[in-house]
Amino acid sequence: MPIIGDRVEIERKPKLGGGGPGKIPHRRGYGGGDDGDHGGSGDFRSREQRMRRYRIGMMLCIISVTAIFVLLTMVYVFRMGKGRYDEDAHRWIHDWVPLHLPYLQLWLNSLLLLLSSTTLELARRSMARKEEFAAMGIVPPRMKRDMPWLGITVLLGCFFLAGQILVWNSLRHQGVFLDSSPSRSLFYILTGTHAVHLVGGLLVLLYAVAGRLMAIRFESQRIAVEVTGWYWHYLAFLWFGIFALVHFARG
Amino acid sequence: MPTSTSNPGSSEKPGFFRHTFSTDHKVIGRQYFFLSLAAVLAGAWLSLLMRIHLVWPKAAIPFLGEIKPENYLAYLTMHGTLMVFFVLSTVPQSGFGTFFLPLQLGAPKMAFPRLTAAGFWIAFVSFLVLIATFFVPGGASGAGWTQYPPLSALASAGPGQALGTDLWLVSIGLFCVASLLSAIGFVITTIRYRAPGMTWMRMPLTCWAWFVTAILILLAFSILLVALTMLMLDRHAGTNFFIPGGLLVSGKSIEHSGGSALLWQHLFWFFGHPEVYIAILPAMGITSHLLAVFARKPVFGYKAMVGATLAIGALGFMVWGHHMFTSGMNPYAGFAFSTLTTAIAVPSAIKTFNWVATLYGGKIRYATPLLFSAGFVSLFITGGLTGPILAQPALDTYLHDTYFVVAHFHLIMAMAGLFAIFSATYFWFPKMFGRMMNERLGRLHFWITLFGAYATFMPMHLLGIAGHPRRYSDLTGVQYVAAMAPLQKFITVAAIVTISGQIIFMVNLFWSMRRGPAADANPWECTTLEWALPSPAPEEGFGVQRPQVSHGPYEYNVTGAEKDFVMQDAPAS
Repeated sequence: MPIIGDRVEIERKPKLGGGGPGKIPHRRGYGGGDDGDHGGSGDFRSREQRMRRYRIGMMLCIISVTAIFVLLTMVYVFRMGKGRYDEDAHRWIHDWVPLHLPYLQLWLNSLLLLLSSTTLELARRSMARKEEFAAMGIVPPRMKRDMPWLGITVLLGCFFLAGQILVWNSLRHQGVFLDSSPSRSLFYILTGTHAVHLVGGLLVLLYAVAGRLMAIRFESQRIAVEVTGWYWHYLAFLWFGIFALVHFARG
Repeated sequence: MPTSTSNPGSSEKPGFFRHTFSTDHKVIGRQYFFLSLAAVLAGAWLSLLMRIHLVWPKAAIPFLGEIKPENYLAYLTMHGTLMVFFVLSTVPQSGFGTFFLPLQLGAPKMAFPRLTAAGFWIAFVSFLVLIATFFVPGGASGAGWTQYPPLSALASAGPGQALGTDLWLVSIGLFCVASLLSAIGFVITTIRYRAPGMTWMRMPLTCWAWFVTAILILLAFSILLVALTMLMLDRHAGTNFFIPGGLLVSGKSIEHSGGSALLWQHLFWFFGHPEVYIAILPAMGITSHLLAVFARKPVFGYKAMVGATLAIGALGFMVWGHHMFTSGMNPYAGFAFSTLTTAIAVPSAIKTFNWVATLYGGKIRYATPLLFSAGFVSLFITGGLTGPILAQPALDTYLHDTYFVVAHFHLIMAMAGLFAIFSATYFWFPKMFGRMMNERLGRLHFWITLFGAYATFMPMHLLGIAGHPRRYSDLTGVQYVAAMAPLQKFITVAAIVTISGQIIFMVNLFWSMRRGPAADANPWECTTLEWALPSPAPEEGFGVQRPQVSHGPYEYNVTGAEKDFVMQDAPAS
């Protein structure tokens, strides 16, 4: 902003409020539309706003996904604790078959997911650094220290999924199927639902990776990585929740 | 973002394809409106068939012949599904909400317009799948809109329980996805897209209702999606979540065992009760809004209304057990659910009191939208008074699954919701289609519908108290029920008259769409932002020039003002 000049125009915020009954005075800022920050580059504002929209959208998705997993956890805990009602004996019977899990594979998967979460965070940060160039309309340069973090994350995510398939396979070899018993069904459903959600995140990351090849705007790429970052960390957190559940609540 | 279908400057009309698959929230809102119109016609037709069958079980219906018991159950299921999902949770929220939320907030468009459009088209496919179940082998599902297992989980349990139920589950699964997608757009639009000066406490109560409902949808429909998936796995993957052991179907024992039918009830009603509020909260918002407009007074207790909306939304998640009092639940749990359920009467009573207080002392303009809004309040009170009765486990044990329950939820949810939909249609028709609806036909429609609704559903209370169970296709051999036949006949006649009365509405709607007198920008003299635009609302909405809001939503009868109302975007005095 130029400070030198004979006339310095100070932008006045328009006056709000007024008389009349039923008047609700506004508390702070303006409405939702302008984030309380008047002025500034319109372009910057609209880009910031777009990011915020996507962030809120991601928060809403996370709330929805949380509802799903809370529900499944409740089903798991109640089914384990209460057992089933025996119609002949007229009483509740505990029929929970404890799970024998391939722990080595599970820990390896957890490590992969944790690593992918870290690399995605690195990718997110490196993109945030390049944001300034994009804001000025310059194609962001490749930095020397840059690793293809995004590609690594996608690979690690795929490894995690492959690892999960190995876990399911090893359970299958034990003779444990989806329809074997409630504990097994619920294990498959919990991990399966988690994997399905992870695939969703993976697809968005693939879109961002492909963005480097195709002509997707840097801004869109960055939003994709930013919100998937939140989602990915959340899924990693969720994974440890599921792991803890099936480990500590074995029955 | 290149999402709008045409530039504000260009005058060329978009082609058929671009118009049909438009991302314009106004087009999508109208599409939802017509989708629900189709659904409500199908649902009403089914209810007519059911009422005729109940009174004249042997009557041959043209083209359909005699209604068999399994057909009756299929009609009952589909009537409930169509009405609850595709009418009551679609028009007030997705229909009017998609159209008017951005306009009332002064937003340029819906946030994530493509998501909103995808939501509609998924809902459309879901509707087609649901209707298709009538034409598959075995016909539509007969397990009720609640789909209680084991009936819904076993393909051998009935003719409609095979492919019909599979498609039902697919259809409602799609509907869940559609609702989730559109709810995300609602919440973000409300949080991020409000016009400058449109503070939270300056939002019209309709917007508050749509916002809270969208949050309820995000939580409730994702849970239903999980429950549907689990039921699907039980049906096809051999899991045993919901199917108990020791079942005999047509004399053959079922190999499933170890599931709990009660688990489904918990999961379903954990969705199902918030669903009731998803249906009624937008209706409440519309009523609050319209009563203020036509009483020419600010809403009485705006903040209390907002608080009550939030309280109802929150409490709605804690009361699902009251649908299951007779399932043998722990009496302490029953007590807790009963207490929480009765607690909902408090915010509901706040709302009702405020509606009446808004009308009190107002210069009321007796237009059709006001009549329907007042009808909403009347039906809401009538249906609401039986709520605390059913919330008592001891009383519910007697009244459960009788016509008393049918009367309760039809009055408070179906009829009240429908009245709000009607009032909103008469009210917003000029903004949606650019023409006015006929007042005289509207009034006639109102009185027929009001008396018809009461004549149909009030006697059902008596049936229920006398112990008439619901969901039976034919009880002619049962002696104590036979005594109630005249009353059933009366209800059927009332239902036929009421549904026939809707022809007036249909005629009025389609005639006014083409021939109605052209509407001014603000025919009802409202303060909210959608009336700052010409009628019908132009495609570009507010365009580049966003309105600057400096007034509350209900500034009617302002002392010192030129007219008796002050628009929200009027310059600050």
